[in-house]
Amino acid sequence: MNEALTIDGLTVDFGGFKAVDGFTTVVQKGELRVILGPNGAGKTTLMDLVSGKTASTQGSVHLFGENITNRPEHIIARHGIGRKFQIPSVFRDLTVRQNLEVAASGEPGVFRNLRLHMVAEDRARVEDVIAMTRLEPVLDTVAGELSHGQMQWLELGMLITQQAKVILLDEPTAGMTHAETFRTAEIINEMKGSHTILVVEHDMAFVRKIAERITVMHMGKLLAEGPMEKIETDPKVREAYLGSGGIH
Amino acid sequence: MSSETSSTLPSSTSRLQRHADWAVYAVFIVMVLGAPLVIDDVFWLNRIAKYLVFGMLGIAIALSWGYAGILNLGQGLFFGLGAYMTAMSLKLMSATSLQQGSDKPVPDFMLWNAEPGAVTDLCCINKGSFLWIPFQSQWFGMAMSIVIPLIVAFVLSSSIFRLRVSGVYVAIITLALVLLVRLLLIDAQPITNGFNGLTDLGWLTIGGFEFDPYMVETYYVVAVSLTVVLLLGRWLVSTRAGLILQSTRDDPTRARYLGYDVAAYQIFFFTISAGIAGFAGLLYVVAAEFASPSFMDIGFSISMVVWAAVGGRNSLLGACIGAILINTVEATVSETEIFKEAWKLIIGGIFVLVVLYLPNGLAGIARDLLGRFERRRKGTPAETAPKAAE
Ligand SMILES: Nc1ncnc2c1ncn2[C@@H]1O[C@H](COP(=O)(O)OP(=O)(O)OP(=O)(O)O)[C@@H](O)[C@H]1O
Ligand SMILES: [Mg+2]
Repeated sequence: MNEALTIDGLTVDFGGFKAVDGFTTVVQKGELRVILGPNGAGKTTLMDLVSGKTASTQGSVHLFGENITNRPEHIIARHGIGRKFQIPSVFRDLTVRQNLEVAASGEPGVFRNLRLHMVAEDRARVEDVIAMTRLEPVLDTVAGELSHGQMQWLELGMLITQQAKVILLDEPTAGMTHAETFRTAEIINEMKGSHTILVVEHDMAFVRKIAERITVMHMGKLLAEGPMEKIETDPKVREAYLGSGGIH
Repeated sequence: MSSETSSTLPSSTSRLQRHADWAVYAVFIVMVLGAPLVIDDVFWLNRIAKYLVFGMLGIAIALSWGYAGILNLGQGLFFGLGAYMTAMSLKLMSATSLQQGSDKPVPDFMLWNAEPGAVTDLCCINKGSFLWIPFQSQWFGMAMSIVIPLIVAFVLSSSIFRLRVSGVYVAIITLALVLLVRLLLIDAQPITNGFNGLTDLGWLTIGGFEFDPYMVETYYVVAVSLTVVLLLGRWLVSTRAGLILQSTRDDPTRARYLGYDVAAYQIFFFTISAGIAGFAGLLYVVAAEFASPSFMDIGFSISMVVWAAVGGRNSLLGACIGAILINTVEATVSETEIFKEAWKLIIGGIFVLVVLYLPNGLAGIARDLLGRFERRRKGTPAETAPKAAE
């Protein structure tokens, strides 16, 4: 089975307004898919639907063949979806290490976690991620005091520690400096292959650095899908972007 | 009481801080257990035993408010339930209950209000009196002191947290509930003695030994119980579950996306906190020899929150010490009437200041001082937390 994420006819109706409207796509295992689209196209809403934050009104989402449509968030997460938010979302009062330790638990239940230490395997995973995200110098800093970039990397690191099979990234470079964006592209490229990733991104330079296949959304619908070269020259895409200044 | 304004916590992860933490725990426990060696006035010892019980309430509040981010303004409900359950048993053991013209115990107040000709027996002296029958066993009453709060808290929190009620709404619901139960309690006069509560109780008796509240042994029952609860609480928040709980407090959405059933964690710790409050109620009755609807007064539940806030709601021991300290000071100053009134103002003022400027209370000050000392020793100024290479 190579289909990691199968979205079929997914629709949400906000009292007459369909933010996502009959959206269909298949993401293969190990693929890195970029989702493009003008503001308000429904990209974030799509991620909300897949991750269980918002309930869809039609259509289905399957993860490695299992139906996860409209299940509660933590169940979907346990099935293997990890999500990074547009606004970095980490545990601000906990230290960086504690953040990763929370992400590392292979066991979700309260009673199973009534023990002082992590299993060796989880601990090893935390150490790997610390190395990968280069967060050693700030391990004992509370996450709320991190720089914007570090916070984003921590959140990425948590998704890796979580062992998410499919990772949803909503604008991972928003608000980052040039250097930070570059580092983020590095991390994402390192994750390629071992993870299936769905990225929403506006920064075209960044997209070129990481993208394989691109899906363009417009008004809740799929507008175009294919490799970068094909998308950039697609007249429908150019038209959709006209109002918002085109693809840069 | 904005639980949202909490500033970032100093993480107590450095070795020095952890050692200092344990040292403070050790000193506290030694002081609590050693108090009878220094204080030989049994009346003061009994008073302190009651304050230690309040310290246990501080722990319960810190667990739910500090660690889970759940502000329970109705903790008095669980304390009160715990108190009544044990008080019922001790009431049946009291000499007055055994002298009501029956070979089985009957509470005196039931007899005073009985219909003429009613059988002098718990089975049927009035409509609800049969509920008292199992309380003839002291151990049943004591077990119920913990079990009933656990059950009530579990049912209550299951409905609240499954519906994702949070923040100030939880505070309002718990507040309303304690008020409601207080009314019901007073209303059920035939079986609760209403406003007057349960007085004239017998003593806790274990293996033939009677725990007179004004004996050192009774003090030790409370002191050892507090120590055990403190250490168990400390263990609980140090477990992985305790860490995950704190993560749900910081950002429930993130915790959900990591696969945790946030409500399950909230329910578990809310329920444990209620169990501790119930146990505190049990101990209070043993030391104070009465149970009264005033335990469910809103003012009392709010006082608990104030103790925890002043001591430091993010620290079990801090909240515990806050409760003991405030009550001890209060007892010493309230000997004179003018001071008594002024004290209310002072404690109100301190509370406002703490909420505004010291979200981590006394425990926070201690941690800050230690952190400052540590940095000075290392020679690194506070602000230069190392940043990752960019
Ligand atoms: N809960 C909701 N109720 C009603 N409308 C909503 C809701 N959530 C999103 N929308 C609307 O759906 C549309 C799509 O929003 P969405 O945030 O998904 O866009 P986006 O593609 O992520 O845009 P951006 O690039 O600005 O992040 C917007 O018009 C938004 O106002
Ligand atoms: Mg968006």
